[in-house]
Amino acid sequence: MAIAIRCSELVKEYRTKKTVRALDAVDLEIEEGEVFGLLGPNGAGKTTLVRVLATLLRATDGRAWVGGYDVVQDEGEVRRIVGYAGQDSERSAYFRLTVRENLLYFGHALRGVPLRTAKERIDTFAEAVGFTEQLDKHFSTLSGGQKQLMIVMRALLHHPQIVFMDEPSKSLDPVTADRVRGYLVDYAREQGMTILLTTHNMDEAEDICDRLAFIDHGRIRFVGTPRAFRRSVTVQETVEVAMQDGDAIVEQLRGLPGVTRTTTEGTIRLYCDDGFAVLKEVVAVLDRSGTRAAVSMVEPSLEDAFSILVNNGKEAADG
Amino acid sequence: MASTARLFYMAVWRDWLSLKRYKLNFVFELFSSVLFGLGMLLFALAFDTALLQRTVGTTNYVSFMIFGIAYQSWQSVALWGAAEMFRNELGSGQIDYTFSCPFSRYGYMICNVAALAVRSTVFFVPVFAVGLWFTRATLTPLGLLLGLSATALSVGALAQMGACFAALVLRHQQVTAIFGLFNFAFQMLTGMFIPMQVLPPSLRMIGIVALPQSFGMDLLRHYVMGTRTVLDLPYEWAVLLGQVVLYGLLAQLAVRRLERTAREQGLHYL
Repeated sequence: MAIAIRCSELVKEYRTKKTVRALDAVDLEIEEGEVFGLLGPNGAGKTTLVRVLATLLRATDGRAWVGGYDVVQDEGEVRRIVGYAGQDSERSAYFRLTVRENLLYFGHALRGVPLRTAKERIDTFAEAVGFTEQLDKHFSTLSGGQKQLMIVMRALLHHPQIVFMDEPSKSLDPVTADRVRGYLVDYAREQGMTILLTTHNMDEAEDICDRLAFIDHGRIRFVGTPRAFRRSVTVQETVEVAMQDGDAIVEQLRGLPGVTRTTTEGTIRLYCDDGFAVLKEVVAVLDRSGTRAAVSMVEPSLEDAFSILVNNGKEAADG
Repeated sequence: MASTARLFYMAVWRDWLSLKRYKLNFVFELFSSVLFGLGMLLFALAFDTALLQRTVGTTNYVSFMIFGIAYQSWQSVALWGAAEMFRNELGSGQIDYTFSCPFSRYGYMICNVAALAVRSTVFFVPVFAVGLWFTRATLTPLGLLLGLSATALSVGALAQMGACFAALVLRHQQVTAIFGLFNFAFQMLTGMFIPMQVLPPSLRMIGIVALPQSFGMDLLRHYVMGTRTVLDLPYEWAVLLGQVVLYGLLAQLAVRRLERTAREQGLHYL
């Protein structure tokens, strides 16, 4: 598989009163046709990386190629083949124009899509994501989610080879987000398009990303599939206990041998090194107390992995 | 269609759509443009036409003022259009999308300013027509053509100055005070409302050398109203052309420098 995006030792420093290193020797390869997620806490460097790749920012050191083009030397070519949907995009169109007029303007004037083709694509996109009724509404009258959806459509209108999306489903309701995600992935597969998206939505990352990278303090800490990501950081196993009226035994469960950490939001989660051993103990406690409960061993979620990595990063940064 | 022509055409279309979406406002803007021109008749009563006769060789104060005022609408667009556009795009976040498109920043600015100039011309026509009405005695088709050519050339030079101002906006964001100062200077030093010939020589020199409006207006008035020019005609055309080239180069430099800073620091950090 050919490489769509490559970063080599990419460094980005913002020099204001003090120098802030937003990207720290980033090495990354994303294959053609991949849907690739970029995860990380706020301020980790996700947006900076996307901006460097979209030619909006120049790296302080290192190199990057998008579609085989160097982002500094061939910036015109890079801009021609990429689509971009940034953050804060809910206001980034002409309020007095309708959705259709906005898309025609951006697609034809700035991206060179022939007018007739642009019109056809707008209708096709809108139909696919259930947006047809909104096409002739003024941008100013749309909800936040609808505006975001238009911005996603704008990024795809010229059939880019590579699309950068900075938190594309940030303001979408779950149903619309799901529809947009589904469409985005189908469209990417059909067109052989590569998507690099940043997100804080772990379900989104799990659902649509072929691979993902975790970035923190400007450094890539992990690259791999969502499943590998979950497994890579969670050495502990988890026993989940769901019960009604079980307050009396919570403390007993917490005190079981081998349990290192407990969370009690909704269900009780017991983190441990040996899941089977703890499971047996849990069943014994439930038997003794006559409490009815559903007990299971669960795989760590992407969110768990994310939290652990972020906390590890914090600890490392705190020294 | 070439990309710049396409952008220009689409930007005119976009502005026209925005304009006609507020019909009442549109009609009243046209109406006030005519009223403004007619209001000059009252102004003229209070003005010393003998001074105008001595300095520029006409007593037609009404047209003199109207051309100054009409010219100002083009000047505003040329000078502040790009800056205003970027300020809006910075505020809305649209600038990221714009700058990720395969278009030179300079070309984007100039195309949008040209589209704004077209939009502004709609409101310029009524007040300009009132001014022309009072120049019936001196007006010829060739004179009108030459006058408008000089205007177009000076507006072109102003648009280059405008690109420099736009670079300032992107760099410093809040520059209203600078705009205010320049606006005042431009009105006073370029013969917009008072003949340049009455200015002290040092101030007149600034208007002649640095500000493209001066000869744009001077030539327009000369060809349409038959006024005397500040310098001989060939010199005024030469200075005007020189200003287009000089400000064009400065604008390219300013935009290139801005782009470098923006790409190093990020527009959201500026």
